[in-house]
Amino acid sequence: MPKKLLVLLVVMLLLVALAPAAAQGGGTLVGAFDVGPGGAPKAIPYFDTAGRTWLSKIWTPLVTWNADISELEPQLAKEWSSNDDATLWTFKLRDDVKFHDGEPFTAADVVFSLKLAINPEAATQFTSFSGLAADSVVDVRAVDDYTVEIELSQPSPRLPYIMVFLWILPEHALKDVKPAEYQNSPWFFTNPVGTGPFMHDEYQADQFWALKPNPYYWKGVPKLNRLINRYFADETAAILALESGEIQFSYASGDVALRLAAEDKYQVFPGPSGVTNYFIFNYRDPIFKDVRVRQAFLYAIDRKAITETVLQGTAEVVPCIGAFPSMWPDASELNDYAYNPDLARRLLQEAGWDSSRTVEIVTYYTSQFHLDAMAAQQAYLADVGVNITPLTQDVPTYNSYFYTGENWAISYRGVAANVANFPFNFYVKGGFETSDQMPLMGEEFPELNDLIQRARAEKDAEKYVGLLQDICRFQNQNAIEGYMWTATRYGIASKNLVDFYWFPGPGGGPYEDQAHLWSVSG
Amino acid sequence: MLKYLLRRLLLTVPVLIAITFIVFGLTELAPGDVADYFISPELQMSPEALAALRARFGLDQPVLVRYVNWVGNILQGDLGYRFTDGQPVGDVIARRLSASLTLIGVAMLIGVVVGVPLGVFIGLRQYSFWDFSLTGFSFLGISMPAFVTGIIALFIFSIQLRWFPSGGIRPVDRVPTLLDSLHHLMLPSLVLSLNYIATYMRYTRFSILEVIHSDYVRTARAKGLGERWVTWRHTVPNAILPVVTVVGLSIPNLVVGAVFTETIFSWPGMGTLYLEAVSGRDIPLLMGMNLVIALVVLLGNILTDLTYAVVDPRIRYD
Repeated sequence: MPKKLLVLLVVMLLLVALAPAAAQGGGTLVGAFDVGPGGAPKAIPYFDTAGRTWLSKIWTPLVTWNADISELEPQLAKEWSSNDDATLWTFKLRDDVKFHDGEPFTAADVVFSLKLAINPEAATQFTSFSGLAADSVVDVRAVDDYTVEIELSQPSPRLPYIMVFLWILPEHALKDVKPAEYQNSPWFFTNPVGTGPFMHDEYQADQFWALKPNPYYWKGVPKLNRLINRYFADETAAILALESGEIQFSYASGDVALRLAAEDKYQVFPGPSGVTNYFIFNYRDPIFKDVRVRQAFLYAIDRKAITETVLQGTAEVVPCIGAFPSMWPDASELNDYAYNPDLARRLLQEAGWDSSRTVEIVTYYTSQFHLDAMAAQQAYLADVGVNITPLTQDVPTYNSYFYTGENWAISYRGVAANVANFPFNFYVKGGFETSDQMPLMGEEFPELNDLIQRARAEKDAEKYVGLLQDICRFQNQNAIEGYMWTATRYGIASKNLVDFYWFPGPGGGPYEDQAHLWSVSG
Repeated sequence: MLKYLLRRLLLTVPVLIAITFIVFGLTELAPGDVADYFISPELQMSPEALAALRARFGLDQPVLVRYVNWVGNILQGDLGYRFTDGQPVGDVIARRLSASLTLIGVAMLIGVVVGVPLGVFIGLRQYSFWDFSLTGFSFLGISMPAFVTGIIALFIFSIQLRWFPSGGIRPVDRVPTLLDSLHHLMLPSLVLSLNYIATYMRYTRFSILEVIHSDYVRTARAKGLGERWVTWRHTVPNAILPVVTVVGLSIPNLVVGAVFTETIFSWPGMGTLYLEAVSGRDIPLLMGMNLVIALVVLLGNILTDLTYAVVDPRIRYD
């Protein structure tokens, strides 16, 4: 009997010793991946302007941004090239990639995906956020199993940057879905198949989406046992869950991030938003055609003081619409519009500004960050005799007025302005369907227009950046808009996440975050 | 009674049609549509893509045509698909309604079970220590919005003490048990119930004080009935009637009465869904939800009227 007991004890000890080893793996990471400006809960490929941080866990594009969104990196495409005038692009694909269901990835899937993304019946948003006009694609064809050609009706020197947004969907799984029914297909939440590091495990609508490792992932099987995206109604709820230890990652506003950064138990992932906040003046009101008025707005507001105090150092003053220093010419060529209320008053007086007038500044921003900044702007402007009233509208209301060019005088807003995604269409006729067919701000600048046309057609990357700098110089010297700042955005993660990475890419990227290496310790 | 019920039910049909027509018209008057919702102001959207989106959702058709189409689909039991994420409206509403009914139903139940007896208790002890204390509490409960009490409760019980989860209706890392669900339900329903407890307590107290000074109660006492008999046979049953009205009027709250609580606790209910529908100009969802809300309000009113007949023997519908 004692012998049997001893054997039993040994077996039990062995089981106890082995059990944790089997269960450990890389652990389970629960995050609020769709909280914040880059998130979009329940997003499906091509059908939202954001949410790409999460989508990139399931689906993969041909190319992606690198970790800090400064250069492109190959993904499903190994290499790419174009003809001289950038109207024919050739993408060479990897031949070692399989979808989550074990089916091989081929050129046919790329052809299927691009045709679906630009199909007017599917009415996706791909053409909008990528900037690739559907009618500019003459043909997309598979030359062989691992070579794709895209033929365009007009030169597109930056097509690879557009391909960042083209998630490759499996033709074999979706070929029977009619384009018009694409958005309503339950496939995306029941049995979606992609080539990303993780594959579908469980989706509970409005609550969470759980993924498990993709055993076929071409960079190696991910370490995590499970990756879960938990949905929250707002950032506050997500931060409370982070603080209570229920989740290990969330986006956090600047003020919250600074508070949590002071605690030892979090890792902070700061990064440039890539979004420039600025006043856009409506030149349909003749007073804003006077450069002195526009410059006076800049001289009147101590932008540096606001970024340092009100925004607690979480934003940087910009000289033009470009959000990154690489898009700016040398500082000696720029007017820094240093705070000078006396000069602002004088310019306003010379321009005949009516100080009894009150101007509504419309915005869609509701975060404390922007509300505080606007309160400070209001105070600075009042000091020089410009009375403004901030007016916050919800996004559909704002858009329905703003893009017609009517019913607003000034708007405080933001726009993503990076090297690959420059808002050219804000400055040209036809960029938006305004009531008077003029550019959005109601004025055309021939010199700026010329620079834009040249930049759009420029194939050489260095020359292209040079043209963006020329645009910046023009914008700055003529103060065609009231450029304020670009903010830092933050992700907060628990200290027990290993090799975790996050970057505040516009719309969530996508960017290379090496998710297959992530794990949870302890 | 049955005839009355049938008449009331038949009357709901034209009322429902009028409501849906008005709501559909109002959504048309609101600035912006779902295509405007899809434009991220910080990113870009081409006019062509906007036009394609509007055509896909049928927004390029006249409003009357769209309304008639919607009614036609409703008559076939089809609530349509959400504009914003393509999910079937019926499924979404059923899922969210179930979550809301659970949360708000439990909170209301706590409100009735705790609030009404406390109201009776302090109503019978006017100007006592308990009356002042609980009346003070009721003022606090009524005036303190759920987003304040919710945050405080979360900070104490979830972040500091870690007794309750910070939100959601179930754990995400395992198949939920009944105990898990109750664990997630407890804190938000208690927070939400504070307002119901306070409201029902106030109304019950007021009603008790009104009845206690009425002639028939005085007569009952004059007849030499015992205080307990007077209270439980004459005062309380009569004082309950206005409370039934208040509880009945709260029934529509079961649907969208917890926007703040649902937001703070990430409880996927109808309140937050309604906000999503409005902010997304999601007409099929908005119409579907309004239909459900209108139905609940109309049926709630009928139920309240029927309850009168049960509680008050003077009321007859025959």
